[in-house]
Amino acid sequence: MRRLALLAVLTYPLAFRWRYGDEMRALLDDEPPRSRTVLDLLRGALAAHLRPPASLGGVVELDDRLRASMSGVLACWVAFAAAGSGFAITTEDAPFSKAGNGHPLLGSAHAAIQILAIVASLALVAGALPLVVVALARARHERRLRLLVSLPVAAVITFAGLTTVIGLVAHGQRSQATTGSGIAFIAWGLAGLVCGAVCVIASRRVLFLMPVARRRLFLAFGCGAIITAAMVVIALFTALYAIALSVDVPGLAASGNGPLHPTSVTISLVLQLVVMLVAASLAVTTTRRGWRAVAPRTARS
Amino acid sequence: MWYYYVVRSISERSTDVGLLVLTSLAEGHKHGYAITTDVEGLSGVRLGPGTLYGALARLEGNGLIEALPAEDRRRPYRLTGAGSVALEEQLRSLDRVTRSGLERLRLAEIPR
Repeated sequence: MRRLALLAVLTYPLAFRWRYGDEMRALLDDEPPRSRTVLDLLRGALAAHLRPPASLGGVVELDDRLRASMSGVLACWVAFAAAGSGFAITTEDAPFSKAGNGHPLLGSAHAAIQILAIVASLALVAGALPLVVVALARARHERRLRLLVSLPVAAVITFAGLTTVIGLVAHGQRSQATTGSGIAFIAWGLAGLVCGAVCVIASRRVLFLMPVARRRLFLAFGCGAIITAAMVVIALFTALYAIALSVDVPGLAASGNGPLHPTSVTISLVLQLVVMLVAASLAVTTTRRGWRAVAPRTARS
Repeated sequence: MWYYYVVRSISERSTDVGLLVLTSLAEGHKHGYAITTDVEGLSGVRLGPGTLYGALARLEGNGLIEALPAEDRRRPYRLTGAGSVALEEQLRSLDRVTRSGLERLRLAEIPR
């Protein structure tokens, strides 16, 4: 339970953790935590995120605020991309393309989502690449960094291997949607989430461990802002697509979807949209916090 | 809308917790664990670390308490002048409400 409580402390905003983290951990040493303690910490973390205390302004240095914002946006993008992959898989079949051709709103919403996803992915590469170069250069000399840098690489290679194997198996039995293929699909999705989580956690640790020139941080933060804006607009277009599909092609919207067809297309799209909206809201929050730290400096210069 | 209700419910609860913490610190400076045990003795409420440090952060932000130099990892807090005034005002207001409530209950003669 103590380990869980310590993990719950990590869910607090960076400034809160820096100011009160040691004291909270000392309190957990004084008083063995119970499940109620963990819930109380999670509730406190939510409150601190929704309404950051005024005393915490300026606790975090600009560079670290930018690091926190960037890794926050990356985490949100991973969750958003998982939901986006669900959207892409849901709407990839021929009936959806046909519906898109027949109904301009559906077709343009789908195209806009794809274009924005490409823009956001390019922004991710543009922002991350300079930081990856610095991390790789430093990892040659520092063992701890080397280990942390290799984690996301190993996770991505494992996931790519798994995807290839599942793709080959699925290609072999193209027409049959069996229970086995459904379970394999779910396992693939979970493996993707674990891979994403490893990438996010390891890259955050790397980002906070290595010194980075401020201009690189500004560049990455700017790219993060573009990704955030893209997330918001993609979520809006996804909502538009879900509404248009339900209105214009109700038969297709009500058809079964997902591995083993547990839900309809509409319910799948709504679930994907909820994940997208939550991820986009969190990304907006963390980007705003970064911007609040950056804006006074921009105004002074 | 949901954001408003979540923030409001948190604010209402934190006001009560803030009062308990201020009352505890009226006795002298204390660190987190000492405040928790004192508040439990005062009110029977055991504050979790999340609730306690949420209240401490808000009270510190409002200038009602201040942190003293840390002893090991434990940092004691004490009331500021503004905190002392705010606590006195809140306690007097509570006292008025308590007296009026008890008086009204006495006069209402509600069968028990």
